[in-house]
Amino acid sequence: MQTLLQALSLFLIGAGVFFFAVGTLGLIRLPDLFSRLHALTKADNLGLGLVIAGLLPWVADPWTALKLVLIWVLVMVSGATGSHLIAKRALRGDGEDLLE
Amino acid sequence: MTIAWRLLGFSGLWLILAGWDPASWIIGLPSVLLAAWLYGRLARQARLPSARLTLGFLSFFLIESVHAGTDVARRILRPRMRISPGLQTYRMRLANPTARVVFLDSISLLPGTLSADFVNREEIQVHALDATVDLAPELDDLERRVGRLFGEELKPVGGLHD
Amino acid sequence: MTDVFVAAALALLLTMTAGLARVVFGPTPADRMMGVQLLGTTGIAVLLLLGLGFAVPALADVALIFALLAAVSVTALTRRRVGQDRS
Repeated sequence: MQTLLQALSLFLIGAGVFFFAVGTLGLIRLPDLFSRLHALTKADNLGLGLVIAGLLPWVADPWTALKLVLIWVLVMVSGATGSHLIAKRALRGDGEDLLE
Repeated sequence: MTIAWRLLGFSGLWLILAGWDPASWIIGLPSVLLAAWLYGRLARQARLPSARLTLGFLSFFLIESVHAGTDVARRILRPRMRISPGLQTYRMRLANPTARVVFLDSISLLPGTLSADFVNREEIQVHALDATVDLAPELDDLERRVGRLFGEELKPVGGLHD
Repeated sequence: MTDVFVAAALALLLTMTAGLARVVFGPTPADRMMGVQLLGTTGIAVLLLLGLGFAVPALADVALIFALLAAVSVTALTRRRVGQDRS
């Protein structure tokens, strides 16, 4: 049981790190602002979600577990709202964000 | 949501944040009361969806998130990235403001799409990593699910209300 | 499991270093901001991993503050206009 849990945790954390790496790569490689936002909101939030899911079996008490989940939810909501704000600013802002 | 539920919810949140220590309630109690009062002022007419519907939407959302992540990852990891980014306009039919926010945030978190801007009250601009396919069916499905979550039955495409 | 947590944290620190490139080279303020957002989220994951790896539960609270401040900082950027911060 313990080993199974460890394997699962290892897999989840590994997948999380993978998505963080992909998100970073996307942020560097993708050609324009909007596409980079895609890499940011998806790979990044999924990365954090998987890392947290992998950590959950090992926390001291259920309150800490709930705190970790709360952090994930906060990051997701602020990530989605933030990317919406950045995109909106780029579309109707002063042109500062769309260098040709 | 009644006042009792609100207080219970924010007390639970405080327990998550501060732990069991009784001394923490010196700050906790005023915070909980303030939060409950503010919530009442800010969300006077907002109705929360039932727990059963929320769970259903949550599982759909989690599965789609994994789908989204792998899709974006696959596109980025190719030596020549398979993307053709662009904007599409979508006509939104949800009327409930809370439902609209949930819909917009879900668009941003799901595969290949990103809610970018409002054209006017109904039309939104959606950015896609691959704008060669029509996004409308996918967005329509998502909007329907969000509508169901908030007890809003959507009319077929083209039907407008409010 | 402690080794796994610390190893994962180190790997994430490496990706953070790579992500710094976007912050440094921009080219636009929004690009830099996105770089900072990514560093923030990765930082949260690193803090949580180290918090469990080294048994310092308080790091979870630090991560929580990171999450709250990220929302404020991105909103602040989008309210900014050209020339506003030049004297």
